[in-house]
Amino acid sequence: MSGKLTRQFLIYGAVCLCILLVPVVVDDAFLLNKYARYLVFGMLAIALSLSWGYAGILNLGQATTFGIGSYCMAMFLKLKTVPVHTGSEGLPDFMVWNNVTELPWIWVPFQSTTFSLLAGILLPALFAALLGWFIFGGRIAGVYAAIITLAVMVVANLIIIDQQSYTGGFNGITDLAEFSFLGIDFDAYSASTYYLVAASLTVTLFLALAVSRSKTGLILQAVRDQEERVRFFGYDVALYKTFVFALSAGIAGLAGMLYTIVMEFASPTFLGVPLSLSIVIWVAVGGRQSLIGAMLGAILVTGVQGALSESEAFLETWTLIMGGLFVLIVLLMPKGLAGAIEALVRRLPQAGNGRSARHTEPDHRPETHPNLGGTQ
Amino acid sequence: MTGNREQLLALRQATVSFQGFVAVDRLDFSVAAGELRCLIGPNGAGKSTTLDLICGKSRITSGEIIFRGEPIHTYREFRMARTGIGRKFQVPSVFRELTVMENLEIGCSREPGVWHNLFRFSGGADTERLERLALLVGLQDELSTQAAHLSHGQTQWLEIALILAQDPALILMDEPTAGMTAHETNMTAELFNRLRGQHTLIVVEHDMGFVRDIAETISVMHQGRLLAQGTADEISEDPGVREAYLGSGGIGHA
Amino acid sequence: MDFVVSQILTGLSLSSILLLVALGLAIIYGVTGVINLAHGEFVMLGAYGAWLLQTQFGWNVLASLFVIFLAIALLGWLLEATVIRHLYDRPLDTILATWGLGVMIQQIVRLTAGGELRYVQMPPGLSGSVDILGATDSAYRLFVLGVALGLFALTWSIYRYTTFGLKLRAITQNRAIASSFGINSGQAYRATFAYGAGIAGLAGALISPLKSVSPEMGTTYVVDAFMVVVLGGVQSLMGTLASSAVLGEASGLLAYFSNDTIAKALVLVAIVIIIRFRPQGLFAPRVRA
Ligand SMILES: Nc1ncnc2c1ncn2[C@@H]1O[C@H](COP(=O)(O)OP(=O)(O)OP(=O)(O)O)[C@@H](O)[C@H]1O
Ligand SMILES: [Mg+2]
Repeated sequence: MSGKLTRQFLIYGAVCLCILLVPVVVDDAFLLNKYARYLVFGMLAIALSLSWGYAGILNLGQATTFGIGSYCMAMFLKLKTVPVHTGSEGLPDFMVWNNVTELPWIWVPFQSTTFSLLAGILLPALFAALLGWFIFGGRIAGVYAAIITLAVMVVANLIIIDQQSYTGGFNGITDLAEFSFLGIDFDAYSASTYYLVAASLTVTLFLALAVSRSKTGLILQAVRDQEERVRFFGYDVALYKTFVFALSAGIAGLAGMLYTIVMEFASPTFLGVPLSLSIVIWVAVGGRQSLIGAMLGAILVTGVQGALSESEAFLETWTLIMGGLFVLIVLLMPKGLAGAIEALVRRLPQAGNGRSARHTEPDHRPETHPNLGGTQ
Repeated sequence: MTGNREQLLALRQATVSFQGFVAVDRLDFSVAAGELRCLIGPNGAGKSTTLDLICGKSRITSGEIIFRGEPIHTYREFRMARTGIGRKFQVPSVFRELTVMENLEIGCSREPGVWHNLFRFSGGADTERLERLALLVGLQDELSTQAAHLSHGQTQWLEIALILAQDPALILMDEPTAGMTAHETNMTAELFNRLRGQHTLIVVEHDMGFVRDIAETISVMHQGRLLAQGTADEISEDPGVREAYLGSGGIGHA
Repeated sequence: MDFVVSQILTGLSLSSILLLVALGLAIIYGVTGVINLAHGEFVMLGAYGAWLLQTQFGWNVLASLFVIFLAIALLGWLLEATVIRHLYDRPLDTILATWGLGVMIQQIVRLTAGGELRYVQMPPGLSGSVDILGATDSAYRLFVLGVALGLFALTWSIYRYTTFGLKLRAITQNRAIASSFGINSGQAYRATFAYGAGIAGLAGALISPLKSVSPEMGTTYVVDAFMVVVLGGVQSLMGTLASSAVLGEASGLLAYFSNDTIAKALVLVAIVIIIRFRPQGLFAPRVRA
């Protein structure tokens, strides 16, 4: 058992080390920027793997909290631009165009660095905690919970587009200042930004690993398996689910902040259905029940997509291929590439340990009847 | 029987109806601390539903349920469990995707908080106790087997072990020997006799041989009501009980 | 008076489209428990079918309806047989798989027919307008309303009065028991899926002269249809009818009084609240979970 743990730590450590060492080999600024983007997506995948893979909560609106984090960072960096304004009030340019005369109250606290950085993680977490309490407190689970997360995201997206004078509307928030922290400037096209993202990813990955290995992580897996049963041992299932939902949102928020730094803008598309769908696909491909699998799934898929995006026609075909691949994986490999690799490794003749033969995949346990999710 | 021992659980006029169908009807039922009570009755008598009421899976429509002096029927399920009630379900339900050891760790729920459990990792202080429990139910060699791969009898035992890991004052067992071989049933009877005194047990069973092996007092339910209560001999002499079982082939084969 | 009548007519027209689009989804969800997120793409395919037959062969929409129904039903049948069938006991995965299928269909259409908007002409006999109580309404819209009600009646009678409908009802009550009485639920599911898909295609073809046709058009329809089903209650066809009527009229009014974005957001918030507090739907009695 502990041998397995050691092996897991080694694999995770090695992968992170490789990621951290990339700038040693690559010094093309554009490539580094691109890779940093993929890493951000990897972080998003970790977030979804925690809630979906471990706790069985399929969040079809993971991009909501990603978007909140990204807007927090964008608001902060917008207020840092010199000159921030076209008028006399120190207002962002798009507000002036929309005849706003005074900095709106939601913007005011983002003049503080500490507040902004905390808000980028804590606001999404708080948002998810409230939403989670609303959903799970009412015993809504499964498909219905997934649909709620999707609907909430679309609402958030519509509101951002509609409230143009506060959010920049359709165009999002652009022309940002460069992020600098503790005396380091994080130019989007620099190794320092890459390191920032890679280090955040490493920390996130190990944090998520610790959570998944803790008893809380175990209880979440039990909830995924048989929610009712867990309740009768005295665990507050709704609280556990809300916790992991909020944790996942906090990670997504951090990813959103980093994404704004890397992309140098925030846009309502960050809270879009296509991105949320993509996250689900990455995680499904990589393996929803493996944190590192999900992360590498995201990096792999977006990497290939990035390489193909040179030609427009090819990108269209790629979307088709991704759709097909996704259906096949859902159908044939519910545990994704990580699950397939794990099964392969297990099948290798292993030091005469006869018992391992029994550890084949269990048949997929039927969940409750389709009208699931409703209150019991 | 319950006179000189402290009363642990009491149902008073407990009633539940499902869209007009009264499954448990003004039931008065009490159990003393440390007792091993058997609950029998023909199919559909309301035995499982009664256990559901005690653990919170179903809610009474009127009446009350008092456990250790508290009116627990107002609590949410997890709070009821935390007051010291454990339940084994009629359809064995364990966590099939987790290993036997992991299952046992879930059962061990004295500290149910999210925050607390965030800093607990497997191989902690409970391991030894859990291994002993696994030994008690004969699963000591299956600790890292996925629960999905256990046989039916082993699954039943795993669930019993889960309840013992939870260590509740009151244990509700719904047909624990269903699907067990005669040998396994005997072992279960032995186990229950050992639990006597440490825990209070309510055991729902159809197997009269098993009931005779373990019971002190037997309560008989019929059509949602308590029909009779007494020792095994008293029960089998009772004309009302005989009538209730008529047509289902007599009490032994119900 | 004119205004009231014409407002009601606008609402009715919206209702009839909602009913057409939601009917297929409701049947599939009610019987098989699958939330078919590719439903919007079936609608879209129906609309493209009408466009294709019109531009290539000069068929009028009405003439193409039957062919389109058959074609999309066949597609539904095939998808059920190859994909959906394997996922009935994994509900979360069905929404993923159907989502993926939807993306594929959309992409195939974009790659073959192009991404630009397409238009389908009204059938010549129905392009005029009709006077009702002083208000005028397009004859085609009234025709669509009639077809929607007719299809609903047909579906309802199949469900109520045929042996096939009896089997379906038995399966939705309890699949295990039904199959122990020799009812082949696999076949019934496949037929249901094909029928639901066919109706979606029909809906798309009927709508095509009223709206522009594009690869993305399905997305809005699946949301609308889903809302109708959620509001109406999962296993209640009458609920679907009632909620189409209510929603059609309500969105007619909402669009009149407020801006489109806010109306959309409000509708979604309503979905969320209904799912949370009345997952069995507004028009369905509380059923045993
Ligand atoms: N949730 C429910 N909704 C409607 N009826 C129910 C529900 N739960 C139980 N019943 C009905 O209540 C009656 C009592 O059921 P219960 O399961 O308690 O019987 P039982 O004594 O445990 O029988 P068995 O020996 O077969 O397990 C049965 O007729 C059953 O159909
Ligand atoms: Mg029972």
